[in-house]
Amino acid sequence: MAMLQRKSRVSDDIPTASMADIAFLLLIFFLTTTVFEEEKGLSIVLPEAAAEQVEVSQKNIIHFLVQPDGAVVIRRGESQAEQVVAFSQIEGIMRQEISNNAEIIAAVKTDPNAPYGHMINVLDELQKASAQRISLQLWER
Amino acid sequence: MAKKGGPFERKSKVEAEIPAASMADIAFLLLIFFMVSTTFRREQDRHLTFPRADATQKQDEKRKNILHVWIEPDGQVYINDRLVPMDMVADVVLPLYRDSDRRLLISIRGDRDTPYRFINSVTEQLREANAVRVFFHTDLESRLTRERR
Repeated sequence: MAMLQRKSRVSDDIPTASMADIAFLLLIFFLTTTVFEEEKGLSIVLPEAAAEQVEVSQKNIIHFLVQPDGAVVIRRGESQAEQVVAFSQIEGIMRQEISNNAEIIAAVKTDPNAPYGHMINVLDELQKASAQRISLQLWER
Repeated sequence: MAKKGGPFERKSKVEAEIPAASMADIAFLLLIFFMVSTTFRREQDRHLTFPRADATQKQDEKRKNILHVWIEPDGQVYINDRLVPMDMVADVVLPLYRDSDRRLLISIRGDRDTPYRFINSVTEQLREANAVRVFFHTDLESRLTRERR
């Protein structure tokens, strides 16, 4: 009986020495797992309202015409030849154009009734192709 | 319960309370954690479906310099939880742009099904207010989900 009594007297209190460690572990756990709502997106700088009109040679422009059904028509410079492409082809085409002409401007003309998502798909492809000169316009026919 | 005079009587007399000395430390740690990690929502969520994009990039700008412009599929524009008529957007943004020391970055948060004419009207208004640094809020899309589409 004497042995039993001694044992229970020793392990009687809750060990508090490790409390701080537990608290710190929790702290570190939350610090590393917390995901903050971050600001993310496709950035672009709009032309200023007061900007003067700059005449751009037609051979430096490639038009991407975004239609309401999601089809994209490419029209190069002055030629009226049209090429219908899918979103996934745009990146390759744009890379090709940039390597041919570093001055090329991608003019994205979107139909007024086309969903915004389609325009973003085109813009996404252009930014993936690291196009620097992008112009966003409304496609007025 | 132990009988009076029994072998367990001594034990319960010594340690009957929960050690409370470290409680304060734990509480402080939690407090500090929440203080550091909490960012208050300045405006309510509008439950829009944002477009997805591979090239989505994190925007490095102070939170206070970012202005959210929400565009709903029916063309309604909300800024700071207020419905703003389309032709008033420039008037609302201009004072905010001046207050931000010309560093205002606009987050265009449009639903992916919004007809593009509404987005175009908003960007025209922003140009009028000189707030030309914008980004289109998108969700990151992995290549896998794109290929499935």
